Amino acid sequence: MSPDVIDGFLQASQYSTILAVAAGCLIGLVVGMIPGLTISTGIIIVLPLTFVLPPEISIALLLGLYVSGMTGGSFSAILLNIPGTPSASATALDGNPMASRGEAGRALGIAITASFIGGLLSFLCLYFIAPVLADIALQFQSPDLFSLVFFGLTIICSFAAKSLIKGFLSAAIGLAIVTIGQDPMMGTNRFTFGEVNLIAGVHFLTALIGLFAVPQLVENFAEMAKSDAAARSAAKIKSVLPSLSDLKLMRLPVSIGGVAGSFLGILPGAGGPIAAFISYDYSRRLSKKPDEFGQGSPQGIAAPEAANNAVTGGALIPMMTLGIPGDPVTAILIGALLIHGLAPGPLLFVENGEFAYGLIFSFFWANIFNIIIALIGLRLLVKVLSIPKAFLMPTIAILCVIGSYALRNNFFDVYVMFGFGLLGLAMRWLNMPIIPLLLAMVLGRQLEEHLRVSLIASKNDISIFFTQPFSLFFLCLAAASVAWSFWAEYKSRQAQQQSSSPSEGG
Amino acid sequence: MSSMRTRNLIAGVILLLLSIGYGYMTAHLPTRAIENTTQPSFFPWVVATCLVILSVSLLAQSLLPIAKNNVPNSLGVTGKRLGTALILALAYLTALPLAGFVAANVPLFAGLMILYGERRPVRIGVGSIVISIIVFYIFRELFQIRLPAGVLDSVI
Repeated sequence: MSPDVIDGFLQASQYSTILAVAAGCLIGLVVGMIPGLTISTGIIIVLPLTFVLPPEISIALLLGLYVSGMTGGSFSAILLNIPGTPSASATALDGNPMASRGEAGRALGIAITASFIGGLLSFLCLYFIAPVLADIALQFQSPDLFSLVFFGLTIICSFAAKSLIKGFLSAAIGLAIVTIGQDPMMGTNRFTFGEVNLIAGVHFLTALIGLFAVPQLVENFAEMAKSDAAARSAAKIKSVLPSLSDLKLMRLPVSIGGVAGSFLGILPGAGGPIAAFISYDYSRRLSKKPDEFGQGSPQGIAAPEAANNAVTGGALIPMMTLGIPGDPVTAILIGALLIHGLAPGPLLFVENGEFAYGLIFSFFWANIFNIIIALIGLRLLVKVLSIPKAFLMPTIAILCVIGSYALRNNFFDVYVMFGFGLLGLAMRWLNMPIIPLLLAMVLGRQLEEHLRVSLIASKNDISIFFTQPFSLFFLCLAAASVAWSFWAEYKSRQAQQQSSSPSEGG
Repeated sequence: MSSMRTRNLIAGVILLLLSIGYGYMTAHLPTRAIENTTQPSFFPWVVATCLVILSVSLLAQSLLPIAKNNVPNSLGVTGKRLGTALILALAYLTALPLAGFVAANVPLFAGLMILYGERRPVRIGVGSIVISIIVFYIFRELFQIRLPAGVLDSVI
């Protein structure tokens, strides 16, 4: 066993790190269960607090929040039929019917246990796959890295958008924003308009706060707290530990969810909601009682919950080994690592092996504390659902402002955050996905650097991208993801036309 | 209800104009006389080309009879409430550097509480003052993040 593994385990098992994981889990459960607050927003709120903490502790806290946020999302899905996070949408299909017939505790217990097992399966994937993938990635040269980042962007556009054009437009806007500031090769100022604060470029965390938090604050104007319903549901919770018969029923759906979630988590852009619905669908097909799905089936709760928690470990694999975020949360984690001077990618395992394994074991502890805190504190935690939004949302608003300011102790970043908030609102109005823009901002500089270094090395011969095997492989994958997305859009449009034609005819 | 085609048309025109503007600024970026290397304007040109192609594609999509679905107001908020929030935010951003975090956060917090449906004046008054001060002290004392106190510098 590598000494880094042992050192990483010891680092993750220190008193302070464990405490940070537990605190992150507690915050994650609270954030996840509040409808209208996503895990990304939760992490955005907590992020400025981690600036003063050592990197291993701040990442442990954020990982705890990430893992538990997924589980917390199922609480409101089950109790209120309002998914706390998009990933918990599939859980509501069976969780709420079970809670409605007076078995809220049973439904929550199944969800928490399935989340735990799904999370552990993805931990194993992370532990075994990440170092191997990092070893392979060490062989990549600039053309391979360019093609890899390009593939990462195309697949995110394909998954995130219903319209491929809007997905690519979103990414292109992100790339245009990245060109603001100093040119990465020669240090020439570009699009700074003489503004000193723009020389270092637009900080992507500032953009992220604006893009995610501001539209969410605005959308919450329309939704009032379901405090009465929450209070009633909380009163119904009795035993939360799943029975042996439930555990037996959960075996297959949890396995499906764990495997599907871990695999889909690795694919950038696929994310929790897709994994949850795919696992739900497969579990229903393989179930002996498929008719029970949708009416409060334990399997219908277990499959999506295992899947969405398994996504977390899967998403950490490309983030840690390739520096490519799979979703907004891992993008924020990259930002957090960069703030602490650590660059995710294959070199993370070589240069900071102890930290890399520490992160993996912190993820393990996050899953352990997730189930402990969720099971013990459930009755108390659900009371959070009755906090009035009139207090919660303004608090989030001022935390976002402080978060933007604290990045560089600069009011300019607050204005930039507000500008991105308006951009986020405009994009929602247009049904244009935000994630490609955000990830283009994270990956844009790498994309430009690798493109230009490759072209300099080949004396402006573009064929370098097609003659290197890894590069060609990633470009083929990128082409396949775009072709698949076009085909999916075409089929969905055809289905839309077919469904609307009978009514037009009639 | 408004048509997504109309929204796409508006967005397509605005994005096309912005892309052309971006291309214009790219053309005026400084060049470096170094052999066998790409210029600082190289990547912006790639992005500008992509932006123009995609904006034209969005425009074409909005003009061709491919998708003509009506969509609800995706923000789900009335214009009046959104306008009030915007004015509140602009006033806050203007006042923030001068007034400091506590003095600027209190009216923002109170205004947002009203926008989120709170009508009881005592709750609004106490909530906005107490939470603003607590958040300020948590960041300043616990997390050592120096937030400007502005006009209240001598008091807090």
